[in-house]
Amino acid sequence: MEKLRSADYKAPGGKLVRVRLREEQGQIRSVKITGDFFLVPEESLGKLEKMLEDAPLREAELRLLVDRFFRGTGAQGLGVSLDDFVKAILSAKETM
Amino acid sequence: MNLAVEEAIPRMVGEGKSPGTVRFWHNSNTIVIGCFQSAELEVNMEACKETGTEIVRRFTGGGAVYHDSGNLNYAISLRKGHPLVPGQNLQSVFQRLSEGAVEGLRKLGVKAEFQPVNDIQVDGKKVSGAAGSIRWNSVFHHGCILVNSDLGILGKVLNVSRVKLEDKHVASVQKRVTTVRDELGRDISTKEVQDAIVDGIESCCGVRVEPGDLEREELGLAEELYQTKYSRLEWNLEP
Repeated sequence: MEKLRSADYKAPGGKLVRVRLREEQGQIRSVKITGDFFLVPEESLGKLEKMLEDAPLREAELRLLVDRFFRGTGAQGLGVSLDDFVKAILSAKETM
Repeated sequence: MNLAVEEAIPRMVGEGKSPGTVRFWHNSNTIVIGCFQSAELEVNMEACKETGTEIVRRFTGGGAVYHDSGNLNYAISLRKGHPLVPGQNLQSVFQRLSEGAVEGLRKLGVKAEFQPVNDIQVDGKKVSGAAGSIRWNSVFHHGCILVNSDLGILGKVLNVSRVKLEDKHVASVQKRVTTVRDELGRDISTKEVQDAIVDGIESCCGVRVEPGDLEREELGLAEELYQTKYSRLEWNLEP
């Protein structure tokens, strides 16, 4: 059974990371990340969302994936870090 | 079209077709949202309809800002590797390229200070927000300064998340921003602020800023970007 989850997570420093995701049996089916942070190159956020598809909603796996994203793309976050992306996703609560 | 010009210039600077550029510009009532933001979540659509406020997405990250004729926007485009911003650290770029605006505001008598990540504040209230990027072989930084802006409309059209306001310990977005006019306690034109910022940039950066118009090629690229991107709902309102 699919569940919709969402979170408004405030990163240290005040930037907001908003997560809307579809979850099924503990796995992310799709995720949309929005917010007022900075990420360069900007197009890389879409890659992160794609990488998170079918990932288990568990901290260790998410941390590994987001780390792989930063290393693989060379993306630079400002106002948002690896830790913030992981915490924002994990804090997403069921909305319906 | 203003946001299209905003993208055209750093692209041209990066290609070496335009010199390092400082641009000043205005918009009529518009909310400019960051490239990662959801218009649906950040903007009060009903209030926008009532007040005739447009919604446009920019190509840089950061938060939504409200523009009107009392708002002065400035943008600095430099070729990658420019001695003013030799590194590729976005926080350093924001800090270094905000110095001219901070200095200009101080010359006017506003006690402005750069506040990381990307704000210029006066006694804890935001008077300017900046954003920027490093791409197209260029370093780009832009900011909007609340000179005489209508903070009443700003408070209506922007939805600020509860989580965000709690962080700032204020009840509304209106209470965490200020204008140059309010800080000085007198009317001031955006032109006067612009002149002060030009002075500030010249003294902080050791450069001479010379007035000029957009080049034909810059306008041509901006027109193309407007047609293919900035005039389109799918760019401005999604995701």
